Amino acid sequence: MSSAAVLAAEFQAPSFEYSLLSPLLVIFGVAITGVLVEAFAPRGSRYLLQAVLAVLGVVGALVATVIVGLNLVSRGGGTAHGSIAAEGAIAVDGPSIFIWGTVLVLSLVSVLLFAERRLEGGVLSFAGQAAALPGTEAEREASTRGLEHTEVFPLMMFAVGGMMLFPASNDLLTMFVALEVLSLPLYLLCGLARRRRLLSQEAALKYFMLGAFSSGFFIYGIALVYGYAGSMNFAAISAAVSGRAGGEGLLLGGIALLAVGMMFKVGAAPFHAWTPDVYQGAPTAVTAFMAACTKVAAFGALLRLFYVAFGGARWDWTPMVWVIAILTMVVGSVLALSQTDVKRMLAYSSIAHAGFLLTGFVGAQQVADVGIGEITSLQAVLFYLVTYGFTTVAAFAVVTVVRDAGGEATHLSRWSGLGKESPVVAGVFAVLLLGMAGIPLTSGFTGKWAVFTTALAGGAWPLVVTAVLFSVVAAFFYVRVIVLMYFSDPVGEGPTVATPSILTTIVIAVGFAATLALGVVPGPVLDLAAAAGEFIR
Amino acid sequence: MELYMPVVALGIIATGFAVFSIVMSAVVGPKRYNRAKLDSYECGIEPTPQPVGGGRFPVKYYITAMLFIVFDIEIIFLYPWAVAFDNMAVFGLVEMILFILTVFVAYAYVWRRGGLEWD
Amino acid sequence: MSETPFIVLSAILFTIGCVGVLTRRNAIVVFMCVELMLNASNLALITFARVHGNLDGQVAAFFVMVVAAAEVVVGLAIIMTIFRTRRSASVDDASLLKY
Repeated sequence: MSSAAVLAAEFQAPSFEYSLLSPLLVIFGVAITGVLVEAFAPRGSRYLLQAVLAVLGVVGALVATVIVGLNLVSRGGGTAHGSIAAEGAIAVDGPSIFIWGTVLVLSLVSVLLFAERRLEGGVLSFAGQAAALPGTEAEREASTRGLEHTEVFPLMMFAVGGMMLFPASNDLLTMFVALEVLSLPLYLLCGLARRRRLLSQEAALKYFMLGAFSSGFFIYGIALVYGYAGSMNFAAISAAVSGRAGGEGLLLGGIALLAVGMMFKVGAAPFHAWTPDVYQGAPTAVTAFMAACTKVAAFGALLRLFYVAFGGARWDWTPMVWVIAILTMVVGSVLALSQTDVKRMLAYSSIAHAGFLLTGFVGAQQVADVGIGEITSLQAVLFYLVTYGFTTVAAFAVVTVVRDAGGEATHLSRWSGLGKESPVVAGVFAVLLLGMAGIPLTSGFTGKWAVFTTALAGGAWPLVVTAVLFSVVAAFFYVRVIVLMYFSDPVGEGPTVATPSILTTIVIAVGFAATLALGVVPGPVLDLAAAAGEFIR
Repeated sequence: MELYMPVVALGIIATGFAVFSIVMSAVVGPKRYNRAKLDSYECGIEPTPQPVGGGRFPVKYYITAMLFIVFDIEIIFLYPWAVAFDNMAVFGLVEMILFILTVFVAYAYVWRRGGLEWD
Repeated sequence: MSETPFIVLSAILFTIGCVGVLTRRNAIVVFMCVELMLNASNLALITFARVHGNLDGQVAAFFVMVVAAAEVVVGLAIIMTIFRTRRSASVDDASLLKY
């Protein structure tokens, strides 16, 4: 009998904790049902069915997440609680639940943004027929017949499923599959804009090319780490790393390659090149979803991978992350200064935010180090992700309502004088920008405060000094937009603010409220982040 | 090395068979040419003239090929399941049925939305 | 039989793929190079599975193959759309988004 057959004979039927994984199952179930709806429902009823299904699915998953979260069992005596499910493939623990909740709430908001039809005169803001070439008769026909791709909802649900699985994966293989499940639908969604389709298709191409390239690095990193540790499981890798059984080169190479894949997803320099192009070209609803949720999921996965699996090799990867963090903050803040397109500027701002988040990540204040009332860097980063996510979704939602004849007026010159045209929209956008800049009494301030104090306590003071410095630089370009909106005269006809339906209004209101609420009373969410405890091992 | 002898033997037999078939058909077969026989062979379809530089294919080929690849590659998940079939018992069967149902959902979508229609 | 040659081969293949992605101009060729990187990883995974005597690497290779197929379909769809619009599959021509 060959060795493979011997190994196969040892297989036992695995156990699968359906109740623990119910949030994931609900989302994937909804996504698959969405595909069936697309196949069998008549065209006219698809929009309503898909939108309602998506909203109900996300709400259902949210309820399931809360139930699972309330029933987590303590593990290992510390603050960590939860269990490893699906034969070690998925870790359902405090941070997982927190990230699931964040991703689901942000997705719920994004679904509403996806479902907005009023701004485009009764159709979705996605291409009527993606296969019709831009500027051809076929496209005009699709547009006059009011065709729309309601596939965007199932695609989004698949992406949400991937985003939930990604930070909860407890082995490298699951992590890789989750990475692809979240990325592939996003590549497609990026290319589906109704207006400016060439830009949109180009964004999809660039995102796809670079995404596939980075996933190549990721999988080779997995191969090397597997070669080092002999297992894909994080616990086993952690044990091997702590034991340092030799084969140093394999481990370090593997960590570096995995980091490349991860840093690409979070949009950290020097792997940020795709971010501005994709954020600008993609349909704005997709940009909002992608900017908020992908970042949350990717940072969750980054934290789990490096804290749980490579925690023992911390001194090997810390210098690398320091360099990346500083570079990311510099690139994000400085290049944002020269942007003339509001979506592009927000993209660079998201790069800068990735840098601030990395500051918290590398500060690595662990459970053992914290005093009473302090939080660990994991919890600080989780909190920052919540504050960042809401502000970002709302900011992109505002971008969708400032329009001219050609669709969204994203060029910054079109935004001058917006304060006179529509004080409400300009005011909301100003608050959101101040939130991103981290002005006190907004969520950006409390988020930065949490992250920087933990990084400081973790001994990363040069990084914190850099971060504060570049927060100031970043504040400059946020304020520049505010000055433009209020103290410049409109150029030409000036901007118009379209009245969106209740859906986009809800999105903007929720993001705006969260930005202010988390700035004034961050307590409850901070407590929730603290209650998330630590990763289970 | 003797481990590989069967493979080598099989290779020799296969080569022999191929050479034998070609040589025998050339020697024994009747040789009556007509226009269709002298044309280049294209799976039985009448060959179409190719423009310079290869020309462009209808996008239909792409859709068919891609659909084939996706559904084809799913099969590899059946291999590990088949190897450990006995030990996985009912659980494995149920999970595999679920997996195949999921693939069928995609198939239903392709079918209903006209992905399988040639014209 | 030593496993080192296989790892070296996989590293060479990975490097060829990587250099190809960075230097080639045709989107399809770039994409083929990405596939080469994935296949190099497969070779490494299989070899390490043999080194460690467990099946994890082999199972991972299956998943990588499936992911690669899914990526091909999505990627070619995107490249195809761009090509039909612009009559060009060169990655240099897609340059509307900059600065």
